[in-house]
Amino acid sequence: MAVRFPFIRGMVMSTVGIIANPASGKDIRRLVAHATVFDNIEKVNIVRRILLGLDAVGVGQVLFMPDYFGIGRQALEGLTGRYSLKTKVDYLDMPVTWGQEDSLAAARLMDDLKVNCIITLGGDGTNRIVAKGCRQVPLVPVSTGTNNVFPAMVEGTTAGLAAALVATGQISWEAAADRMKRISIVLNGQEIDLALVDAVVLREQFVGSRAIWDEEKIIKFVATRGEAFNIGIASIVGGLYPLSPQDPNGIVVELGKGETKVLATLGPGLIMPISISDYRILNFDDKVIVKKETCVIAVDGEREIEVGPKDTVVLQLKADGPLVVNVKKTLDMAARQGLFKLT
Amino acid sequence: MTLSKEKLLELYKKMITIRLFEEHAVELFANGEIPGFVHLYIGEEATAVGVTAILGDNDYIASTHRGHGHLIARGGDVKLMYAELLGRKTGYCKGKGGSMHIADMTLGFLGANGIVGAGPPLAAGAAFANKYRKDNGVAVCFFGDGASNRGTLHEALNLASIWKLPAVFICENNMYGISMNQEYHQNIKDVADRASAYGIPGISVDGNDLFAVFEAAEEAVKRARQGDGPTLIECKTYRWRGHFEGDPTVYRSEQEVETWKKKDPIPRVKKRLLDLGVLTEQEDQAVWDEIRKEIQAGIDFAKSSPLPDESELLEDVYCD
Repeated sequence: MAVRFPFIRGMVMSTVGIIANPASGKDIRRLVAHATVFDNIEKVNIVRRILLGLDAVGVGQVLFMPDYFGIGRQALEGLTGRYSLKTKVDYLDMPVTWGQEDSLAAARLMDDLKVNCIITLGGDGTNRIVAKGCRQVPLVPVSTGTNNVFPAMVEGTTAGLAAALVATGQISWEAAADRMKRISIVLNGQEIDLALVDAVVLREQFVGSRAIWDEEKIIKFVATRGEAFNIGIASIVGGLYPLSPQDPNGIVVELGKGETKVLATLGPGLIMPISISDYRILNFDDKVIVKKETCVIAVDGEREIEVGPKDTVVLQLKADGPLVVNVKKTLDMAARQGLFKLT
Repeated sequence: MTLSKEKLLELYKKMITIRLFEEHAVELFANGEIPGFVHLYIGEEATAVGVTAILGDNDYIASTHRGHGHLIARGGDVKLMYAELLGRKTGYCKGKGGSMHIADMTLGFLGANGIVGAGPPLAAGAAFANKYRKDNGVAVCFFGDGASNRGTLHEALNLASIWKLPAVFICENNMYGISMNQEYHQNIKDVADRASAYGIPGISVDGNDLFAVFEAAEEAVKRARQGDGPTLIECKTYRWRGHFEGDPTVYRSEQEVETWKKKDPIPRVKKRLLDLGVLTEQEDQAVWDEIRKEIQAGIDFAKSSPLPDESELLEDVYCD
């Protein structure tokens, strides 16, 4: 039998949702940069470890987003004998489209079902979609690639433990989670999308293969955060004016000829000087307007919105992004409260 | 990626040509005018056009049994194609090959192929020739998710990777190997995952998005020309028709087909061309009308062409 911690199984009916995106980790960055190849078998392994973490703390139920690869089903296939779970596992009743709509639909359903916590496996893009569908449930984002800022590279087992501690109420979400910033994206007066890390205006005609790797295409961007250890657009912010997720500001940066240059890591292995013509610190609700130019807006590293010469886009910094559980802080608090002591 | 108005219209016209060519092939087959089988490319146009758009004169293509789209995208002559489909002497193979053996060496088109998975070794060989001759050419190999289980693909990937051959392997993953859903014939869903076994990049793109395919192929071809070796690109797409004309398609639901028809690659390109001011509705209508005439001219040419004479039966069987 696996060792179980003395948590309060069954006293609180807790549910954790898992949204694992089988499509992440296979985009063009494997070709134009040196991004990691992250196959779905490894995602199955991570989910298996997450389930064991959730089970150890006594989560009552896990709800999976169904996906075309069957990540949840395959993870369960490996959990037999000493690894068999007491936690009940179910799947959301929803159609699978193979697209990012699946993550959005799953997040909305989990929100409706009032799950106590959602664990996401994917990149910035996956988390952005989940945040669109559900802003009140605490998230535990687990990164499945090298090009991410929002989700942390965290071990699946500890992510599962932290999510379970929050879901069961043994550590309150108010203590464990931080409210993130976001960027609201308004096209011709209608809010159509959001970004969690950055919204980039690109000198492009098409969404195409989505990734950003050519700095000459970047006109300007708005970012909620950026630190020197980050990768992508956030790396530019990190070198220019570091902003943590908790800082009550954002930044708008225009690229082009100027006196300021920073060395940035635009992608895995893509280190380059970036020339900046201007930048400005943003307060919450400040707006940046893009109008009358053919461009593409990339959100959180993926080209997403094609803009025509007649369109107007407003990018606005907002304080009401998703709640994100700090895995390290949560486990520290649990340890200090003696929750890991068996005797 | 920035494309000129001329290039955008050229790619759009090629997609429409493929669509109309295949739609008319449906009618010709239903009327009993095409001997043998035809496997149609309707719904997958963005993949062929996106990939071939960046190829040059020294480049090769190894195609599949579903090869009409590849040849049209490469610049094939629809008159000669229809003549071949109808078994006429004026066809690409003098009417003796039919749909699954159309080849045009002047275009570096190594041929459609009646054998699933026969293209990869041909492409590896062609890429070896490019490298040996130092002509900066690349070889592109189209294959399907079914062929991704064939040993021929794996042997070709292995050779291409160890010799760093200038090859690009394009998996047109339309979810079915004949009638078998991918779920039942392999334990992965992304054929791109196969690449890691050979130490080469493998990426998945939306095969119904012309520009996504173009960008991925452009980078892969650039990599191949630089001497960095092969790439595997998986284009996720869907064939609207059955595996072959006459296939009752009992293995898939109408709902699934309708879902994919909503992802039709042609209107997606048209919408962006309208947004960019590259095309007007009126010009679009003119484009379709012009291509319809070209297609009809091809069919008329084929129908008015003679059948091969019996005396030619044994010609072209062996090389002199």
